[in-house]
Amino acid sequence: MTDILKLQLPGKPQYVSTVRMVIASLANSAGFDVEAIEDMKVAVSEACTNVVCHGTNGDDLYEISCEISDEQFCVSVQDQGEGVDMDQYQAPNLDCPKEGGLGLFIIQTLMDEVEITSEPGRGTKIRMVKYRQE
Amino acid sequence: MSLEIKRDYNTQENRWDMVLAGEVDINNASQLRAELKAMFEEKASSVNIDIKELSYIDSTGLGVIIGAYGRMKEQGISVKLLNPAKNVEKLLKITSLDRIFL
Repeated sequence: MTDILKLQLPGKPQYVSTVRMVIASLANSAGFDVEAIEDMKVAVSEACTNVVCHGTNGDDLYEISCEISDEQFCVSVQDQGEGVDMDQYQAPNLDCPKEGGLGLFIIQTLMDEVEITSEPGRGTKIRMVKYRQE
Repeated sequence: MSLEIKRDYNTQENRWDMVLAGEVDINNASQLRAELKAMFEEKASSVNIDIKELSYIDSTGLGVIIGAYGRMKEQGISVKLLNPAKNVEKLLKITSLDRIFL
């Protein structure tokens, strides 16, 4: 059985910490261990930060959808912003760190599956999955 | 959770000792940026940042520290992060920032 929970919120920086609390609480209730909970909290927070920085004018709502099943915890963060051309994305050069560009790299490192769909003019969706460890 | 920043100049060691407590994210990273800027304008010295009580930092907060490090490196001074919590240390390791800051 899969439970689906949805949250809509304005793309404002002050609500990103609220999302972290919600995700941590849901993952804890779903029985994930401390490290997995922290990974999901960080990854989802980075996806929201991405929306706040690039995917909204601040007033528009974006949506976080959580699907919790016996096998996994899946979170999708979807905005209705400008979208980007993912072919232009470059992973950060970790030997020469820069101020920006770490967010997607962190998400991809911490989650078991990450799918990013974005097209200019059609918004961005980051879908990320954490498997339940036996 | 909010961010608390304290700093003192350590005259014996000729460096800044900074303590961060709480969380750094997109909502308050500018507070950290402003404090680091004010600090280096007051005195351009190396800084040890104690992050034992820092429960969370995101890519925005790390970006602020990377930016400060980039500006200071040119002047031959360093930024060190001390006593990271396990979750913060993990983030520093996966981004390879541990090689610079720990």
